[in-house]
Amino acid sequence: MSAHGDSDREDVTNLDGNKAVGLSRREVLRDTTLLAMSAVALPSLLAACGGSAKTSSSATASGGATDWKQFQGTTLNFISENTAPSAAIAADSAAFTEKTGMTIKIQQMELGALVQKVALDFGSGRASYDIIYADPYQVLAPYYQGLVDLNKFVSDTSLPQIPLGIGDFIPAQLLTVGRFLDESKLYALPYDCPTMIWFYRKDIFAKYKDQMSQALGFDPTPSVDSTWEQYYQIAKWFNANKAKTGIPYGTGHQAKQYDSLMCDFSNILAAHGGGYFADDAKVGGLGSASPGACMLDQPEAIQAADFYMKLLAIANPASTTWDWSGADAGFQAEQMVMVPNWHEFAAGDVKKFGEKVGYYRLPKGPKRAADIFGGTGIAINGGAAEKQQKAAWLFLLWATSPETQLADLKSKVGGGTPTRTSVYEMPEVIQNSKWPSTLPNLLATGAAREAWKPENVYMRPKIPQWNQVDTVVFTELSKMLAGQQSPQATMKSATQQIDKIVGA
Amino acid sequence: MTSTVWQSQSPQVEPPNRNARPLARRRKRRWLPSFETRMMLPAIIPLALLSLIPFGYIIWMSVSKVTLLGGVHLTGVGGANWAKMFHDPAVWSSWRISAIYFIATVGIEMLLGMGIAILVHEHVVGRNLLVSILLMPMFVAPVIVGLLGRFLTDSSFGLYSWMLRLIGFDTNILGRPGMALATVVALDVWEWTPLIMLITLAGLSAVPPALIEAASLDGAGYFKRFWYVVLPSISGVLVVALLIRAMDAIRFFDIIWITTNGGPADATKIIPLRLYEIAFRFFDLGYAAAIGLSMLAFSIIVANLFVTLLEKKRGVAQ
Repeated sequence: MSAHGDSDREDVTNLDGNKAVGLSRREVLRDTTLLAMSAVALPSLLAACGGSAKTSSSATASGGATDWKQFQGTTLNFISENTAPSAAIAADSAAFTEKTGMTIKIQQMELGALVQKVALDFGSGRASYDIIYADPYQVLAPYYQGLVDLNKFVSDTSLPQIPLGIGDFIPAQLLTVGRFLDESKLYALPYDCPTMIWFYRKDIFAKYKDQMSQALGFDPTPSVDSTWEQYYQIAKWFNANKAKTGIPYGTGHQAKQYDSLMCDFSNILAAHGGGYFADDAKVGGLGSASPGACMLDQPEAIQAADFYMKLLAIANPASTTWDWSGADAGFQAEQMVMVPNWHEFAAGDVKKFGEKVGYYRLPKGPKRAADIFGGTGIAINGGAAEKQQKAAWLFLLWATSPETQLADLKSKVGGGTPTRTSVYEMPEVIQNSKWPSTLPNLLATGAAREAWKPENVYMRPKIPQWNQVDTVVFTELSKMLAGQQSPQATMKSATQQIDKIVGA
Repeated sequence: MTSTVWQSQSPQVEPPNRNARPLARRRKRRWLPSFETRMMLPAIIPLALLSLIPFGYIIWMSVSKVTLLGGVHLTGVGGANWAKMFHDPAVWSSWRISAIYFIATVGIEMLLGMGIAILVHEHVVGRNLLVSILLMPMFVAPVIVGLLGRFLTDSSFGLYSWMLRLIGFDTNILGRPGMALATVVALDVWEWTPLIMLITLAGLSAVPPALIEAASLDGAGYFKRFWYVVLPSISGVLVVALLIRAMDAIRFFDIIWITTNGGPADATKIIPLRLYEIAFRFFDLGYAAAIGLSMLAFSIIVANLFVTLLEKKRGVAQ
């Protein structure tokens, strides 16, 4: 190949140099025409060669563990809750297309609508969605049989593998969002990880610290020793001093008759040593199909309900109309000084208040500190065709990769919450975890990582009947907050209904 | 021509009895639908299939346990879903709230709609413009009405909350059971009173002016004319308006779903919301089918009641 090229060059040299001297006009014209034609044809020829070389390279790598383009041309459908990470992923979908040659269509909606669509899709058997945002409680637990065990892709050498391995995901989150009943099976990869923490106005706390310390007898600044009883006292102080602060209430809560109310109460329930079932740790981790008798009628749970009612009595009255978005909007509208809030709302609050907001894990109760985890995984529809499943696996890898999680953090439309340990160890991430930060969601991750520690995190029960149980819990609590029943009657009524649902 | 050929080819066959063919045709006709019905069949058959098949299926679902995973599977459970429905206090509670909601919305809308229609009817200058403005809420999608209601009553930045706060009232409008129910009733009334007004206005326009003039000449004052002449004349139209709104109120959903989601303390969880929750949150589709059928039965009873009332009115008028 090389020798042949050299001889061509020699010919050309000869043609350009020596022979041109004694050429007739006809010969000159002929040669000039040939040269011109070559000049026009050569780039096209080179381009064609380049193209074929590219195709050839792609064909050679097809099916290899490093080949991200083996499903080029495939279109994938992803159904997701309208969360910040999904907004970021949707905005960054061109990067996925560039890497894989596949198109990803993302449908985002409210969680209830998503659960409906997924359930009906399983019923129809059409597999309209290849990739499913698998909420551990509303999708994974009731429909895990409709999801693919991802181990089959992990062991498939023809497919790319999880960057940095499965061990890079935060273990407790992987167990909760990825597995159900059987620890050897993996149904989803951790995708987001919102967790409830304590949001407070740092500037107001600092300004009135001395006055509060004097009046309350303790330092109000959130710390490892802060308790729910102190939280109550602080909120009460702010209520009494609203003229000074200009903010009408000390605390606000997501206590609308909705899923959010159960989440808000669960923090206090677990902090008081209560639980929904006897083995709440196991039922919240690996999950259970038969969790046993409900424990909400136990003294710890009643004590927690008592405290929750007491706390809500001094909270912003609009709390009973607020879900999680409402509570955060109330905080941003300066309707209260503190709020137990999802840590992924930090980015929005930073936009409004800058460095004035502080974050800490939730206060301790008589037994422990408990911060409810609300993370979700992404899974593959078991009804999808084999090729679609494999293509979907590539999306799962890309969407949960360290690079994409970092990109999500930087996204202008989203602001992801990384589920990988390695992302939190990136220098850029460490640097931006403190004010001033270009990645505002990271400002709350210090508190969130503290909340994820096994002694602090709280995982609600992961059972197939969770939707019914959840509805009973927030409906009964709503009746309690409306003053229609006592905490004791609330817990008793909830227990009776839950026992009936789970067949205990 | 045909007859000649037939005779020449079969000379031994007796000519048919003249009466036989019309008789056969008559017999045939007895089994065939009329010409008009046959013309309508291409439309009726698909419509019947679209209504009857789902109706039959929902009845079947109501006596089954429905599972979705791996395709829809129905397992017979007899009357368990129906028994559960009759013994479920939550369902009875929703029926009770539905009854309150139904009476409040339909009652207020009828009274207000009639009142506004009478006032508008009396208004001569710029009536068309006034009617157009008054009809506007009706053209807003219920889900938008719900969102508007939620924003206007939001305790942090809602206009109504702010106004209530100014005069020293509690601003937690959607957070208290009684006020939440009153608010969703008010939103429904705001949206659908114009419909009653429009129907009533059409009825009022049809009252013969000669009748009113005659009553006036007989010395009847405004209220007597209204009570003895106008009201009986428009009563048929009013029953139709009542029927339309009653049917709507039974299956009302959007505004409550957006504003309160059935809360607080289940105070606004009317039966359609309960049905939705059981069907699409718990996916207990068999039980939901039983509740859906009970709603259908209730709608039919209410509709028949109003239709009977309408028939009686017509009977009296004739």
